[in-house]
Amino acid sequence: MSVELGLSIAGLRCEVDGKEILKSIDLTVEPGRVHALMGPNGSGKTTLALALAGHPHYVVTAGSAKLDGANLLSLAPDKRAKAGLFLSFQYPAAIPGVKVANFLFAARQAVKPGSDLTPAKFRALLVERMEALGMDTSFLGRYLNDGFSGGEKKRLEMLQMAVLAPRYAILDETDSGLDIDALRHIGETIAALRSSEEGRATGLLVITHYPRILRYIQPDVVHVMLDGHIVKTGDVELANRIEREGYDIVRAESGAVA
Amino acid sequence: MISSALRAEPLLSRAPSAPFTRLLPFADEYFTLEARTAALQRFFDVPSGRERPGRYWRVNLDAIDIDDLQLDPENGSVEVKSSDARVRVGEPPDCLGISAAAQSKFGALAMAFAHRYAFVSIPSGIDVEDPIVITYRVGEGALFPYTCVHVERGARATIVERVEGAAAFVAGIVEVVTGEGSEARFSALQVLDDDSRFFNTLAALPGKDASLELLTADLGAELTVGEIDVSLLGEGADAQIVSLFFPSGRQHVDLRSTVDHRVGGARSQTTVRSAANERGQGRYVGNIRIAPDAQKSDASLRDDALLLSPNAHIDSVPALEIAANDVKAYHGATVGALDAEMLFYMTTRGIDREHAERMVTLGFFEPAIDRFPAHLREELRERLAVRAR
Repeated sequence: MSVELGLSIAGLRCEVDGKEILKSIDLTVEPGRVHALMGPNGSGKTTLALALAGHPHYVVTAGSAKLDGANLLSLAPDKRAKAGLFLSFQYPAAIPGVKVANFLFAARQAVKPGSDLTPAKFRALLVERMEALGMDTSFLGRYLNDGFSGGEKKRLEMLQMAVLAPRYAILDETDSGLDIDALRHIGETIAALRSSEEGRATGLLVITHYPRILRYIQPDVVHVMLDGHIVKTGDVELANRIEREGYDIVRAESGAVA
Repeated sequence: MISSALRAEPLLSRAPSAPFTRLLPFADEYFTLEARTAALQRFFDVPSGRERPGRYWRVNLDAIDIDDLQLDPENGSVEVKSSDARVRVGEPPDCLGISAAAQSKFGALAMAFAHRYAFVSIPSGIDVEDPIVITYRVGEGALFPYTCVHVERGARATIVERVEGAAAFVAGIVEVVTGEGSEARFSALQVLDDDSRFFNTLAALPGKDASLELLTADLGAELTVGEIDVSLLGEGADAQIVSLFFPSGRQHVDLRSTVDHRVGGARSQTTVRSAANERGQGRYVGNIRIAPDAQKSDASLRDDALLLSPNAHIDSVPALEIAANDVKAYHGATVGALDAEMLFYMTTRGIDREHAERMVTLGFFEPAIDRFPAHLREELRERLAVRAR
């Protein structure tokens, strides 16, 4: 029996506090490919990300989401991560008292339990990935996201992705609030991950409001979301058009109600 | 050792009643039978001042009956270890009994029967590098430990007191007196088995310009009743109080701290972290008092409690009495459950729900753990982890 590879979302509807936010989403991210999901604020991009990760407030009312054939929607959030899903949060939670190093080790052990990663090897992996991100190793002794700047939080999200080497990663507005240097570091980390043996096949869903990050992560496919629907799908030229002309042109073409 | 001279003295105007005759074997060179008799009378006369908190609190602290106790001066043991020969161990410091510890109900009980002593004096000006460790152990029966530590002028030292054992009733006093410009850290760790009861009265008198850290961790006993009293009598003194406790199973913890700013220009910071699991019951009462002429006092009180089960309960009662007008005073308290967004975030990294809860709970205590001497931190984490399960 062959398994259909990909992060495959079909007919997905989702509501929050009784209000429908996603209105039938169809989207498949193939292994090793980069999909960009663009759209103005409030179009439902973050809702899709959190629904796929299993946030309890986001109630899926119809449709399916499969990760290499596994039914994500029937799994608790930790099982989804173990299946190979990673979400880089737009607003990562701060957890006082939990040190970055301990957290990363616990997460790595949970997600890749079979690997014979000794603490020393793990440390070496961390240091290597941190250098790529331009992060000081003093991060490891700090409490998770506690007192971190916006840029530091995003870099830590990328470090986690690099360490956990997921099969599919959703990057929710990883570019928001970053300066050009931080953005470049993140672009380089993603490039490094994708050139590593563990991360070569990682499929990416890059959620962004602005097309800027796409200069650093070249998308294979670009989707535009408006009001809970994917209204347009194209190649990188679609992103360039949005950068020049804004979302209004897509809105007009799709006939969506503003 | 029992002084026969004391025994020969008339004890009371009337024939001693049963509880008082039980004091006889305890009279010694430190506390006379008269002093003990007066203390026991206070225990009977003085109310605990502690109403039952919460509806699941099962113990009436005014109904503690000493008739059932196995009273024997031979019970338990004490050991004091210091690697520094300049530290004087075993001689009563000149500040013995100077505090008001024996005035409260349970302090009076502790003094009445005191029989295991840890006396430590750190001579002026010396810097003691290694921690001085006091260990009380008890197998069964009643134990009445009395610790008196004098950190003299300009001295520096770290002192750790451990109380451990099983099937015990323990009522103790700790007096910590520090001299001008000294720096001291006193940690009290109570890890009695869950079949024990623990009453502890800790009184501290930091000197002028002295820095004193008082750290307490109550992680054992089915019932813990703790009293921490710090009197700031010297200008420029800085007292830092850090307490943590974590009742689980059917444990009860009732902790009260009082910081009394009697003179101006002193600073105090009280930090309490607690959690309760299963049917654990807790209460923390934090008092800050600033006397009318204690101007330029700087006092803060921060108390955070975590409830991990629907049957767990913690009362948090901060109370500030400020009679001076030119002071800085802060207090804040929170009582709550684990944060759902923190747990969700951790589970999206593959960490299962229970492991995430344990990590967040331990993390909650970490800022308090971090204040303890390094060699105790891992033990504290392990003991807390058992309760967080």
